[in-house]
Amino acid sequence: MSVQDILSAENELTHMLGAQQAVVLSTRIRLARNLDGMPFPGWAKAPQRKEIAERCVEALNQLPKFRRGHVLRMGELTDLDRAVLVERHLVSKELASGKFGAAVISKDQTCSVMINEEDHLRIQVVKAGWHLRGTWNIAEQLDDALGPNLKFAFSEKLGYLTACPTNVGTGLRASAMVHLPGLCLAGHMEKVSRALSQDGLAVRGWLGEGTEAAGNIFQISNQQTLGLSEDAILRHLGGWIKNVVEQEWNARRKLATEEGDKFVDRLSRSLGVLRYARLLTSAESMNMLSHLRLACDMGCLPEERRHIVDRLMIEGQPAHVQMRQGGELDSDGRDLRRASVVREALRDFPELGPPTA
Amino acid sequence: MGCFLCLEMSQPLKCSLCEEAATVHLSQVVQGKVTKVHLCEACAQKGGATDPAIFQLADALTAPAVAPSLTCPHCGFTDIDFRKRGRLGCPDCWKTFGDALGGLLVKVQHEATHVGRAPAGVAPVGQMRHRLDAARSEMEVAIAAEDFEGAARLRDEIAQLELQLRNS
Repeated sequence: MSVQDILSAENELTHMLGAQQAVVLSTRIRLARNLDGMPFPGWAKAPQRKEIAERCVEALNQLPKFRRGHVLRMGELTDLDRAVLVERHLVSKELASGKFGAAVISKDQTCSVMINEEDHLRIQVVKAGWHLRGTWNIAEQLDDALGPNLKFAFSEKLGYLTACPTNVGTGLRASAMVHLPGLCLAGHMEKVSRALSQDGLAVRGWLGEGTEAAGNIFQISNQQTLGLSEDAILRHLGGWIKNVVEQEWNARRKLATEEGDKFVDRLSRSLGVLRYARLLTSAESMNMLSHLRLACDMGCLPEERRHIVDRLMIEGQPAHVQMRQGGELDSDGRDLRRASVVREALRDFPELGPPTA
Repeated sequence: MGCFLCLEMSQPLKCSLCEEAATVHLSQVVQGKVTKVHLCEACAQKGGATDPAIFQLADALTAPAVAPSLTCPHCGFTDIDFRKRGRLGCPDCWKTFGDALGGLLVKVQHEATHVGRAPAGVAPVGQMRHRLDAARSEMEVAIAAEDFEGAARLRDEIAQLELQLRNS
């Protein structure tokens, strides 16, 4: 089973995008868990890390959720394979950079468990759109199902014990990937970001920590994992996401009304560039695809075109472009290839009409 | 991923009193209402004169986060390792370094005690706290829906849980 098979298979993020995903692209739950009595991956010796990986893979393979899934050992993959998995959010940069890391991924790619990352296990569940409770329920079931086979390190006072103090307690990181072009264009994003971080939520760029918010896409997640129940963490995040979605729609409608022709002109120019450019950098294409996504949400373009835009956002990333080409490309080569993929996909896009949303 | 150093660098909070980066974070719960205060070290030491807790916290932070020469008997990890890496060596390290990390936990987590899920058959206290949390919100919903029979049942369950928790 190769990484190429994972990319070409129908999966949650590239094939399940429907009308309700205008602002929230995806919902993600992550649980950090560790095996009792074993050193954390960053401190464990090579044979211990190997043992941890074997025990975890064996336990995961017994779960129905991972039947006909994929087991990927980082040490057996090429640099490009690993980079593609990072761009897909199936594994983290940290896991991809180590030799002993492994990932077990369900067939539909909604569940991926990282082994030997910062903690022994990072159980991740992702759903397209905004489904906080549904996503949580799957993660909770996986946690319960793994419990009998793997004894998790747990203390009554501190909860689930993790390598880093930022994850101890519930080990839960709940997040939403949100597309906020309205708030960005209106210049409100900094204010929103500050309000969120003051209330204990982290706002990051689309590839996680330390990355830029390419394409006006942000990841919003809880910071606190100790002293709040899972339910309280989810309610807190859920309340804020609802609020951010409302504010985003207000900003979009205000822009469309106040700017009138300028609004449609701005989005149309992005379509023009994307359809005819011969070289496209990753950042430029992300920002312009963000405009097209906004055009679909606002009714300027038919809504059924949105999934094409979403797919291009994922497939226009550097490693994806190279994987499609079949090998490594330099930066100019990638820009050339990216532009041709985008041109081809947008060839029959119609002209933008006035907003109707 | 998830290191507290990175988290703080990517999302610096500003001091509630001045524009400096906040390094002291306080949460206060009064009658169920949570108030959070973020202070820079200077303001924590001078501006927080009205709240003695701010002084205590500032002291805890200016002192070394982990007292020197602690070693985990299980994996050999030391406090020096923690200062270098920001992560612990094994789950047992929490026993060795737990007390010394108390100040840091309050700083990054605002709280020091787990409330939430527990593995099956382990830690009934944690589970009881979790259930108590849920029962309280369920009771609110029941009252709002005028389901007084359900609310009474939940009230009894809450009283029972509170009693068990007090005795544990």
